[in-house]
Amino acid sequence: MASSSSPSSTAANRDGSASAAEDEAVMSVTRVFAQDALLQFQSGKFDKCLTALSECLKRKPNDPKISHNIGLAEFYRDGCSDPKRLLDVLNNVKKRSEELARTSAEQVESGSNTGDKVALGSKGSGAMGHSFSAVYMDEFDTYVAILNIAVIWFHLHEYAKALSVVEPLFQNRGPIDEKTALNICLLLLDVGLACHDAMKSADVLIYLDKAFGVSCMNQGDGGSTALQQPANPVAKPPSLSTNSSATDGPTLDSDPNALEPEETSEFDNADFDMDVAQPTVLLSSNDISRNPVDISASSVYLKLKMQLYKVQFLLLTRNLKQAKREVKNAMNIARGRDSSMALLLKSQLEYARGNYRKAIKLLMASSNRTDTRLSSMINNNLGCIYYQLGKYHTSSVFFSNALLNCSSLRKDRPLNLSTFSQDNSHLIVYNCGMQNLACGKPLLAARCFQKAGLVFYNQPLLWLRFAECCLMALEKGLMKTNLASSEVRVYVIGNGKWRQLVMEDGVSKNGNLGSFERGDLFLGSDRQPKLSVSLARQCLLNALSLLNRSESSYCKNSLPSNFFLEDNELGEVAASKNSNHKNFHSMNSEASVLSVGLGQVGINGDGKEQRAGTTQELVQNSLSYYADVRNKENLLIKQALLANLAYVELELENPMKAFSIARSLLELPECSRIYIFLGHVYAAEALCLLNRPKDAADHLMTYLSGGNDVELPFSEEDCEQLQGVRAVDYEESNGGSMAAKNSSEDRLGIAFLKPEEARANLYVNFAALYAMQGELDQARQFVAQALSITPNSPEATLTAVYVDLKAGRSQEALAKLKHCSRITFVPSGLT
Amino acid sequence: MKLGFEESKVVFGLLRAEQRPIEEIVSEFNSIFSHGRQFTPCFSLSILLQDKKMLSSTQRLIAFAILQQAYSSQKPSANPFLDLLINAACDVEAEKYERALVLQLLQLFGSVGSSESKEILKKSAAEYIKSFDPSVHAFPQHEQLQQQYADKVHPERFISPFKDASIRNVVADPDVPRGCDVNSLEFDIQTGAKPKIGSGDRDETVLGLLSNLTLEGLGPHWNRPIPPRLPVQNDELVWLNPVDNHELLWDDGMCIDTSRGAAVRDLIAKALKGPLAPAQQEKVLLELANDPKLVYHCGLTPRKLPELVENNPLIAVEVLAKLIKLPEIAEYFTVLVNMDMSLHSMEVVNRLTTAVGLPSEFIHLYIANCISSCENIKDKYMQNRLVRLVCVFLQSLIRSKIINVKDLFIEVQAFCIEFSRIREAAALFRLLKSLE
Repeated sequence: MASSSSPSSTAANRDGSASAAEDEAVMSVTRVFAQDALLQFQSGKFDKCLTALSECLKRKPNDPKISHNIGLAEFYRDGCSDPKRLLDVLNNVKKRSEELARTSAEQVESGSNTGDKVALGSKGSGAMGHSFSAVYMDEFDTYVAILNIAVIWFHLHEYAKALSVVEPLFQNRGPIDEKTALNICLLLLDVGLACHDAMKSADVLIYLDKAFGVSCMNQGDGGSTALQQPANPVAKPPSLSTNSSATDGPTLDSDPNALEPEETSEFDNADFDMDVAQPTVLLSSNDISRNPVDISASSVYLKLKMQLYKVQFLLLTRNLKQAKREVKNAMNIARGRDSSMALLLKSQLEYARGNYRKAIKLLMASSNRTDTRLSSMINNNLGCIYYQLGKYHTSSVFFSNALLNCSSLRKDRPLNLSTFSQDNSHLIVYNCGMQNLACGKPLLAARCFQKAGLVFYNQPLLWLRFAECCLMALEKGLMKTNLASSEVRVYVIGNGKWRQLVMEDGVSKNGNLGSFERGDLFLGSDRQPKLSVSLARQCLLNALSLLNRSESSYCKNSLPSNFFLEDNELGEVAASKNSNHKNFHSMNSEASVLSVGLGQVGINGDGKEQRAGTTQELVQNSLSYYADVRNKENLLIKQALLANLAYVELELENPMKAFSIARSLLELPECSRIYIFLGHVYAAEALCLLNRPKDAADHLMTYLSGGNDVELPFSEEDCEQLQGVRAVDYEESNGGSMAAKNSSEDRLGIAFLKPEEARANLYVNFAALYAMQGELDQARQFVAQALSITPNSPEATLTAVYVDLKAGRSQEALAKLKHCSRITFVPSGLT
Repeated sequence: MKLGFEESKVVFGLLRAEQRPIEEIVSEFNSIFSHGRQFTPCFSLSILLQDKKMLSSTQRLIAFAILQQAYSSQKPSANPFLDLLINAACDVEAEKYERALVLQLLQLFGSVGSSESKEILKKSAAEYIKSFDPSVHAFPQHEQLQQQYADKVHPERFISPFKDASIRNVVADPDVPRGCDVNSLEFDIQTGAKPKIGSGDRDETVLGLLSNLTLEGLGPHWNRPIPPRLPVQNDELVWLNPVDNHELLWDDGMCIDTSRGAAVRDLIAKALKGPLAPAQQEKVLLELANDPKLVYHCGLTPRKLPELVENNPLIAVEVLAKLIKLPEIAEYFTVLVNMDMSLHSMEVVNRLTTAVGLPSEFIHLYIANCISSCENIKDKYMQNRLVRLVCVFLQSLIRSKIINVKDLFIEVQAFCIEFSRIREAAALFRLLKSLE
């Protein structure tokens, strides 16, 4: 703050209180205590700091800023053990500051009206409906308190809350001093990336690039250009970009015309000491020396930091080609310094490109095994890689190691605020859930997703995965109400002459699933997730509403239901639950607006080392590309949700709902042929159950090609496509060449019917449809086709047996029954 | 829903009680299976009855009696086994005594009090067969019975057509040596004899069936594929990178000297009351330029803006241009366009349009305000002055393409025509025409 050197001008104290000399004397003593408090704070002597602060408080009782700093000092003195208490303190400070500012504003207004500065009676200003302006806030500003609130949320992994708090600060950054503004930007970047909110990250990146990119160029001048500007900036000459060749960063081509003079000079006075490891940010700008060497050294650090953020942004938006270029730049900048972060990002890049071997090598290279914090991340990331390689058991070892690292981190003393943020167990546990699901352990997976729900509760995918756990449990016969359905069960009763076979009809296996689920839908008495088909339905509905909301607009209502959040709730939940964690919001429209007028990056021919244009162009191109990708992904998720939901409604014997859901699945644009197949089969079954066999037949007929031949409802490529929307590279979509897909063959395919099996499925269903209507000859033909493809299918066998019995051919029926290999003969159990 | 093993044994015991009066058996059955629960055992009995070999003749009689009596308190059409009973009564292949008993059972529906029919229930099954006299019984046609008892029957629907179509799910699978006659009595258990291969105990089978039959028969089988798990999505697995420490920030604003920009603040306060001297004005502009944040501390609220505009338009322009980023800037603009029209306010608006670009809705509002001010003013001399000012102002806006004439064409044209006596208005009109 520039003006601290001129304490002589005392005249109009802004709250209009006093201008007398004694007051000034008291104030200067207070300032001395305040300085002392800060020094003690910086050197970690929190008791002494608190003593000094209490002296300040004596002279300025009720001052919110003093309360703020007291809260901070107490928090550190108590070993950072209670961040939630500090949140309370900060929220109080914020509230009180706003009240004070309001009364002060009223005084100012009434003062100007009467021309009398001391007029306290605010009779004239009764109707003042002013919104709260920065101009009124003045010394009661709350930026620091609000930023700190956001910082705490961030460390507690409450990214959505942090985002909702810090984002308005960024939008209204005008009056905020440089140091705080920079901190706001960096926090917003991290939060935005953590929320996968490309839009917000893009805003900050562009802004910082303008501000920092230019101030970087100016550093040769040893000062700010703003000082040398003519006094009339209204007609400023655009003279800022002249010496852009002086530096080598990629962030240089900023557009000077787009800059406000205010923004270019914004960070000239900021201290750039943003070292990750040390709490130097605590240093006040009042004390930092104006030594240009310091600034340039730390500004390289900031430059590296910005570069790394840019890479992270490009990775988020899957602009892998540019990410590769920028990560190279980052490595250059980091040379001779700590390059572990750059290496990690490089590894993430290779991971995203599908070069898993290389990603592993890079991870190992960046690993510093003694650092528990880092090794938990590296273990987790290795787990991700092995998961993608289809080596689920290896990945589970790494994930559980990562969790172990976290729990040992939690035991670390002394506590630090970042201890909380470094404990990533709630994030890692999501990966564990995925791995358990892939290994076919739905109960374990559900437990993991339950824990991960504390962070991911507003992500549609989490709910879909939960529903998948339920369906897998159903499939594996792990629910109380059903038995495994993958085989025919036949009871053998009596013997010899009197031996009888009783076939158990699988159709009724899930007879009354719904009735089991009264009371707590989600948790059993042992607080473990209680998987059921109705829970699956609830989860799918949650996911759909989250997905629709993120598609439709910003207007975010609170969640329809929330099973997870129980005791770890603080104030503000209601406020912050409204913003999404991973924000799939309507970027498509915004991004396309943004990208109007911008040429497509990467299309302009000469591929080698083209300057990527300005950061702005780079960012905006990435955004619109990402919006596309996101759109496609959301569409796929929607298909999966609807297919699952239709299935669940059939299981719950709601053919009406099942039919309407299947129909909306079929109406989705660009639907995968696999999901179209499911849509037709589910719709047909629902229609049968509604006693509309003709309409049901129409759905199946789509696959009938001449006579009684059923064509393949989908192909191997469709399966691959479903599996592999993932590996598509930005580079490839732009016609570049690369060999990233090599390892995707190792991966396990999706666990679903093969195209041929799907065809058999259609034959069986045709047979069932005809048999139901009593057309036994037709039914027999179809079921014979089905049995020729899948001789051991329980459904085909049972339908065949049915058709024979109905036609009175019990010997054939018996033969078919005994021919099926997936059959269990159960003794009658008489004892 | 199955009959438990214990209950099966009880039911089987009732079937074998060929010496007990049927009445007694039925009432014991009813006492065990309360109303609403009798369907399951009855259903099992009906399945057993469909295989004629499965039950002995007395057992069949008892089973039929139970089927009828379990629902005797209701209308015949409410008996789920009515069809079975009617068919049995008309089955020409069946034993006469069985048909007769079923027929008499059916008659119980109509004449609840008929003592003759009631009589038969007092006999035991064995007695009934022994005392049976075929000559006294006439057997009506199927249609007749159907009409008599079942005309109001609506076929019972299960929930699904698949189940409607379902059939008995029991198949006989006799396990006798190849080539032997399965109906031969030699494979029944002979008391005292050594069991031979292929022999089986009928009672054991009956009991087993009773305890294993479920209500559902066998229906055609729809294959409902389980949807595939969605493959892991691109960003779905959480990849971790170290993040900044984001330490908490000490509030530097605590107890600081609040005199930042006090000089400017004083000058601005003065500037509200009257024009500043050129040197003072210079100082304000310089200070504002030096400290970009100072403008937020100079104490100019929207309410004070008109005074500043009237007294020091240049400073007003400067301050507004710096506040442009503030969310509250609209408030300032609203005050500005709504204040009384004057040379100074016009100058401020004009300068702002070129310096920072006012939102066009504000400009339009201001122009409308100007035009109505001109029309409303009474003093002719002042009006001329104002009109000329507005015309020059509009010309400048049009020439510099800050406003699009089309948006305001009608209003401005009307304004020119109204004041066409004034030279500048005529000039503006010609400008408009030339642009057309």
